[in-house]
Amino acid sequence: MVTKTEESQLKNLEIQVDNGGGGAWEFLSLVRKLKVRRSDKVLKHGLSILNDPKQRSTLGSEEWTLYEQVAVAAMDCQSLDVAQDCTKALRKRFPESKRVGRLEAMLLEAKGSWDMAEKAYTSLLEDNPLDQIIHKRRVAMAKAQGNISGAIEWLNKYLEIFMADHDAWRELAEIYLSLQMYKQAAFCYEEVILAQPTVPLYHLAYADVLYTLGGLENLQTAKKYYASTIDLTGGKNTRALFGVCLCTSAIAQLTKGKNKEDKEGSQLHSLAAKALEKDYKQRAPDKLPQLTTALKSLTLSS
Amino acid sequence: MGLGFGVGFLGVLILFHAAYSTIQYRALLKITEEEFSGSPFSVVIELSLGLLLCTWAALTVPGKFLCILPDSEENRIVSLPVNPDFMIFNHRGKLFPLEMNAKLRH
Repeated sequence: MVTKTEESQLKNLEIQVDNGGGGAWEFLSLVRKLKVRRSDKVLKHGLSILNDPKQRSTLGSEEWTLYEQVAVAAMDCQSLDVAQDCTKALRKRFPESKRVGRLEAMLLEAKGSWDMAEKAYTSLLEDNPLDQIIHKRRVAMAKAQGNISGAIEWLNKYLEIFMADHDAWRELAEIYLSLQMYKQAAFCYEEVILAQPTVPLYHLAYADVLYTLGGLENLQTAKKYYASTIDLTGGKNTRALFGVCLCTSAIAQLTKGKNKEDKEGSQLHSLAAKALEKDYKQRAPDKLPQLTTALKSLTLSS
Repeated sequence: MGLGFGVGFLGVLILFHAAYSTIQYRALLKITEEEFSGSPFSVVIELSLGLLLCTWAALTVPGKFLCILPDSEENRIVSLPVNPDFMIFNHRGKLFPLEMNAKLRH
């Protein structure tokens, strides 16, 4: 999870490294820790460390972690020569390693030789049938080939065994979303929220899915989850604030004429609108008129 | 760190001294055959001073306090990490290879 402080730290380090201010190793470590995808920069700065024997020797055993990181980044950037060299260096150092075997199979994937990669993964799985990462790689491979239904099938099989893997649930939710299968995606997000109830972004994603599904009950639940996102972020998530406003107006439209208004809801709506206005005034004053017209149209339609 | 330890040590010393003086005071009372109703005022002052120093040291020595509020800057999650286990390489970046002739040299 990337928190606000870590995000600004990463941004500062990135600028510093890009301008040649040093701290490349710290940047690479932070990228690894936060699991962000900066493959081009990792490749550039990681290679410059690896090509400098003096810097490399100061890393000690961390050197091999860097080799792995650079190899994966190189695959992501399609610099297959570099990836191959890194994998070879690792293979020389760890001749028996399964982890290097996985890396070699990933290299095959990056080259596009799916059959060989599949074979490599199968043989790795024979040695250790419960290797989670290899199971996940097979899902990713199906996805990369455009075989989305196959990926869903693999992932469902995987989740039957490893139900506590929230990353996999999130991936499944995202795949379902890409296919516009919102009901299934909502179920997956429920699992993710159960596993990590303090992450506001999952609440937000779940609320988005419910709002997209529509219907009075879903809209009311969506509003609750938008509200919980606001609660967890201290009102600093603009999307959640907008979500509350949209949900309120949609609910009001559905219940029009039934005259069953709850006062609490309208209060939440106006508070969210106020928070939005304040936020826009502070950070983007020139967009404020647009915001006010948008909010007005929402209240007019209700 | 060093300062905190020093202050804590001083505080403990003061506490011990306060205990010692109370024992002395009671021994004195036994000689004069008076009832013990409480420590003398100077010992109470000493005691509270020692307590203050010890508390201060205990709060500073172990390190900084972390924020527990979910919406503080340190805890507020602003973006999710990519799922590195599900990373795929067959993406549009393939069409725009980096113009870099960097190589691993050994």
